[in-house]
Amino acid sequence: MLLLAGLIAAVQVSVYLLITRANENNARKHIEQNLNIGARIFHENLAERIDFLAGSAKVMSGDYAIKPLLMQDQVDRDTLRSTLLSYTKRVKAPVISLFSPEGELLAVTDEKLGPENVGPFRHLIKRAAADDMEQASGYSYLGDRLHVLVVVPLYAPYPNVGAWFGLAYPIDAAFANAIKGTTLLDVTFTSNPAEPDLRVLSTTLSPALAGEVARHTATARDAASGSEMLTLGGEPYVTLFESLDLLGEAPARIALQRSLTAELAPARELERIVLYISLAALAIATIAALWIARGVSQPLQQLADHTKRVAAGDYTRRIELPRADELGQLATAFNHMTAGLAERDRVRDLLGKVVSPEIATQLLRSDLQLGGEEREVTILFCDLRDFTALSEKLPPTEVLALLNRYLDRMSTIIEQHGGVIDKYIGDAIMALFGAPVAAPGAPERAIDAARDMARALDTLNREFVAEGRPVLAFGIGINTARVVAGNMGSKTRLNYTVIGDGVNLASRLEGLTKDPAYATPIIVSDATLRAMATRPPARELGEVKVKGKAEAVRIFALSAKGESRPPYHP
Amino acid sequence: MRLRLLIALLVLPAATAVLAAPAGLTVTVKGAKGEPVADAVISLVPLDGASIPPPAAAGEIAQQDQEFTSYVTVVQAGARVVFPNRDTVQHHVYSLSKAKKFELPLYKPGQAESFVFDVAGLVSLGCNIHEWMAAYLVVVPTPYFAKTGAEGTASVAAPGGRYRLELWHPRLAASVTAEFTLAAGEAARREFTLTLKADKRPRRGGPAKSGGYR
Repeated sequence: MLLLAGLIAAVQVSVYLLITRANENNARKHIEQNLNIGARIFHENLAERIDFLAGSAKVMSGDYAIKPLLMQDQVDRDTLRSTLLSYTKRVKAPVISLFSPEGELLAVTDEKLGPENVGPFRHLIKRAAADDMEQASGYSYLGDRLHVLVVVPLYAPYPNVGAWFGLAYPIDAAFANAIKGTTLLDVTFTSNPAEPDLRVLSTTLSPALAGEVARHTATARDAASGSEMLTLGGEPYVTLFESLDLLGEAPARIALQRSLTAELAPARELERIVLYISLAALAIATIAALWIARGVSQPLQQLADHTKRVAAGDYTRRIELPRADELGQLATAFNHMTAGLAERDRVRDLLGKVVSPEIATQLLRSDLQLGGEEREVTILFCDLRDFTALSEKLPPTEVLALLNRYLDRMSTIIEQHGGVIDKYIGDAIMALFGAPVAAPGAPERAIDAARDMARALDTLNREFVAEGRPVLAFGIGINTARVVAGNMGSKTRLNYTVIGDGVNLASRLEGLTKDPAYATPIIVSDATLRAMATRPPARELGEVKVKGKAEAVRIFALSAKGESRPPYHP
Repeated sequence: MRLRLLIALLVLPAATAVLAAPAGLTVTVKGAKGEPVADAVISLVPLDGASIPPPAAAGEIAQQDQEFTSYVTVVQAGARVVFPNRDTVQHHVYSLSKAKKFELPLYKPGQAESFVFDVAGLVSLGCNIHEWMAAYLVVVPTPYFAKTGAEGTASVAAPGGRYRLELWHPRLAASVTAEFTLAAGEAARREFTLTLKADKRPRRGGPAKSGGYR
C-alpha cells in the first residue's frame, strides 16, 4: 500500500519537475523569440520614426513661409530659427536645422547646437547630395546625446536643392520606454565599449542594473550568435546585444532583455496549482487506498481465521460477508466448503460405524470402482451354535441385546488383531486379515484373534451366567487363500468383500466345528498353518473333501488355550 | 544634281574665307547609348578679351497649360526675360538660385512680368502652386549660344577666335567645358557623348491611384 502511494508520489514529483523544466525551457525559447521580434520591432520603430521625420521635413520644405526667407539676399538667421521653432510643434522633432545647399548651417532650433557640433548632419548632406537622395538618415551623437538624424532637401523646384533640412530625434529614456511599451523588452543603449568613457546612453532599467549591463557589453557576444543569460540584481535576464552603427564613429550598443522571472510568472502560477492538485490527489489516493485495503484485508483476515478453525476441525462456524464482489463469492464458496467438509466428516463417521475403519479408509481413499484385485487373504468365519433355537426362547429385544453384546466383544478383538469385519451375517461374523490392507502376519493374527475370541467368549459366558442368561457357544473356521478382493455390487451400492473358493472353504471349516467328532471350536486349514512363519501345535483332523473341490483339504483343530478339547464341553 | 552639290561644298569654304563671313560650330550631343540628347545648351564664351555685344533679344518663359514653355531657355546675361501667364489659372513663379532669387507672387492670367538677368548662371524656376512645374533659365555671358533640338544638334554662329565652349544639360552633374578655337570662316563640328543622370523631371500631379500605399 505504502509502495503504491510512494510510486504515485514519485510519478507526480517527476511530472512536476518535468513540467517545471519544460516551462523554463519554453520561457527561455519564448523570450529568445521575443527578443528577435523585439529587435525587429525596434529597427522598424526607428525606420518608421525616420520616415515620419522625413515626411515631416518634406511637408516643411513645401511650406511657402520658408522660401521668401531664403530669397532674401542676406539670410535673416533669427527669423529663420523662429520659423523652424514654429515647426517643432507640428513635426514633433526636437531638433530642426536648415543648411544651405553647400552644407552651411543657417539655423537650428537647439541652442546647444552650433556650426561646430552639427558634423553628423553635414555628413548626411554630403552623402545625400552625392547620390541625389531624397532623404538620408543615420545615428549619431548631437551634443552628447544619441540621436536619429534625417536630412531632407528643400527642392526649388525638384530636383534642384535650395536648402537642406536636418531633423533629429533623441534616443533617450522616453524612446526606450516607448519600445518597451510595444515589445515588453527592456532596452539599454550604451556607448561603444572600446571607448574609454563607457556610458549608459538611455535605458528602461534602473541606473544600477543599466550599469551592470554596460559592464557586460565589453564581453558580450554579437546578436548573430544568439542571446545570452545575464544575472542582474540577482534576477536572470535573457539578453540580446546588438550594434547600432553611428555616422563616422564606433558603433553604439543596444541590449534587449527580458526577465526570465517575469516571463515565467504565469507558468509558475500554473506549476503551483499543479502542485496543489498533485498533493490533493495524492492524499485522496492514499485515503482511498487505505479504505479499499481495509475493505479487502478485513474479510481476508476473517477468512484466514476461519480457515484455521476449519483446519482444527471446527465446522460449525460460517462467515458472514454480505458482499456482492469476489470476496463475498469467496466467503460463500468457503461456507459451502465448510459445509461439505462437515458432511464428509459425518459420512466418514457413519462409514466407520457401518463398515470397518480400514475399509472405510480404503473406500474414501480410492476411487470407488467395481471389480478388484487378487490377493492372499486369511478369512475367519465365526458362527454361534444353536442360536436360532436360543432366539426362539427369548424375546426379540433380549436376543438383539445379547447378540450385539456378543458381536461388539468379538469385533473389538478382531479389530485389535488388525482384522477387518467384512460383514455380519445374522449371528455370524466374517472377518478378513490382509485385506483391504495387505499386512504381514495375517494368518498369525487370525489365529491369535480366534484364540482371544474363545477366551473372551468364556468371560462373556461367565457374565451371562452371573446375570442368569443363557450361555453361548461358537465355531470358528480359518482359511488362507488367494481370493478376489474389491468392491462388489451395483454402481449405486457397493460392498467391499472377498470372494472365491477360499472363502467358501473357511465357511465350510466353520460348519465342520459342529461335528462332535472333531471336538474342537476352531478348525484351521493346512494352507493357513503353512502360511505361518512358525507352525503352532495343532491336532490334525484328517482330510476333508470339500464340496465343489476335487482335492481333499487337510484340516487341523486349534485349541483355544493349547488344549485340544472344546472349552464349552466340560 | 550630285555634281552641283559637290561643287557647292568645295566652293563654300573658300567663299567664306574670302568674304570673312562669320564662322560656325555645329554640335551633336548623344547619350551613353547613342541616342540624341535634346535641351543641351552650348555656349561659346570669347577668350582673349574679345568684345561682347550686348544682348540683342529678350527671352520668354511662358506659363501655359500649367507647364513652363519651354523647359530650358538660354539668354545672354543682361537680357530681359518675360514671364507671361497664358494660362487659365494663377501662378507663383520663383527662384532660389544664386544667379537670381526672385518671385512673382500669385499673378493672374494675362499678366506678363519681366526681369533682367544680369548674373550669368543657372536659374531653377518653380511654381509654388504647381509642384511639377519646373524650368531652367541658363544665363550665359555671351551672345553665342544654342540649344539642341530633338535631333540632338545645335549650331552656333560666331566670329573666328578662341572660346571656352560650355555644354550644360539638366541631367548633367557638371557642365562640360573645353577650350576651342574657331578659325575664321570655319564650319566646325563637334560631337559630345554625355553620361546623363536619371531623368528626375517631375511628373504632373493628379489624383493618386491609391491611398499612397505602394
